[in-house]
Amino acid sequence: MNRRTAVLAGGLALVVLACAGFLLWQRASAQAGVSVRIYQYGELVEEVRLDQVTEPYTIPLSGEDGAENLVEVAPGRVRMQSANCPDQVCVNQGWISDASVPVVCLPHQVVLEITGGESHADAAAG
Amino acid sequence: MERGGGRARAGFLAAGLAAAVLLGGCAQRAEEPATGQIFAMDTIMSMDVYGEGGEEALARAEETIYRLEDLWAVTDENSEIWALNHGGGAWVDLSQETADLLAQALELCALTDGALDLTAYSAVQAWGFTTGEYRVPSQEELDALVPLIDYTRLELDGEGLRARLPENMELDLGAVAKGYTGACLAEQLRQAGVTSAILRLGGNIQAVGNRPDGNPWRVAIQDPDSQQEATLGVVEVSDQAVITSGGYQRYFEEGGETYWHIMDPDTAAPARSGLTSVTVIGADGTVCDALSTALFVMGPEEAAAFWRVHPELGVELILVLEDGTVQITQGLEETFTLSQDRTMEVIAP
Repeated sequence: MNRRTAVLAGGLALVVLACAGFLLWQRASAQAGVSVRIYQYGELVEEVRLDQVTEPYTIPLSGEDGAENLVEVAPGRVRMQSANCPDQVCVNQGWISDASVPVVCLPHQVVLEITGGESHADAAAG
Repeated sequence: MERGGGRARAGFLAAGLAAAVLLGGCAQRAEEPATGQIFAMDTIMSMDVYGEGGEEALARAEETIYRLEDLWAVTDENSEIWALNHGGGAWVDLSQETADLLAQALELCALTDGALDLTAYSAVQAWGFTTGEYRVPSQEELDALVPLIDYTRLELDGEGLRARLPENMELDLGAVAKGYTGACLAEQLRQAGVTSAILRLGGNIQAVGNRPDGNPWRVAIQDPDSQQEATLGVVEVSDQAVITSGGYQRYFEEGGETYWHIMDPDTAAPARSGLTSVTVIGADGTVCDALSTALFVMGPEEAAAFWRVHPELGVELILVLEDGTVQITQGLEETFTLSQDRTMEVIAP
């Protein structure tokens, strides 16, 4: 192998390694980067990295006409701990940990949506 | 030197190819969709639109949703449906969209022999589902409502874009509006050149093309026996709607009984047919939406029979029975994966 070929081979190896590394990093960060996006009236009010939560804590949300929602964030999952909405559908749904079904408080227009991570589906019918 | 140069050229070529393939792969993985989330038609809608021009297409889709909602909102005094319900039997002028949807919906009412009936709205009201003030009406009250549920008394003058409904009768497009909206939006997105998008209109899913990676969209079907995040299974679709009707979606309990929002037009009471959910998958969102309700009312045997005699509709079904059995039609054998330990039966043509 002459010098020029060696340089080329080295360059090629570097390109391949860099790209493979980038792919692996991207995959790893996609898996780790599970976030919950909290929306109120269609606006993003807070985004929390669920993989970085160590102790559960709550996030209170106040809305129009005395609407109150209490979001509980825990390692890898999130739920609507309480709400003073009439139907309690959001509270009864319990914890979510992947992107397939968001928690929706329709009366108060609050949505908890998980993004990132491995999800078994792109959408949920029902 | 001659051979070395050849090897060098081959090296360049290989490196270039490798870089192109890998970077191409990287770029594809990193593609972010234009996303939007809006509250409309009494539900939450979220849309992911991939590719160039996504933001613009998304903005137009949102405009379309609001426009259709304004036409059809049953409680909005300015809507065309409100005008029809309060027209005292007189002709009411309609937009092209409303006339189109009413015509399609009436055909589906007839096709399902009235298992779908747009005029069942008075029963939905009587049980309190429109206000959340739930109640169980007396048998006399229900008997009086039954004659007021009859889609054949809605007259549509399609050419003149007008319709009329007898006094005391009321209709609602709730059983078809979101399916029709999904179909409209999918068509609009395709015309704008979008080849990959997923629309979640409440629990009504409309896929445009495939996922950006070229694979079919994966749509989870909710477990009707659990309000938790449990998934019954996942179905793979391209360019199709996936629409579920289930008793678990809206219900109340009184005296140990569960009463849900899907009404049997023959009794003006919640439909108890042996099913807890019906999912319809097909190319036409309006048909899927209408059939999910109608087949829920029919029950498992009649639903399977309906599917067998109507292959022209091009739909596939996932039925969940009250005893927990899952039935799928044959066309889903390759694309539906059950994610629970349940009995699954295949309905053959």
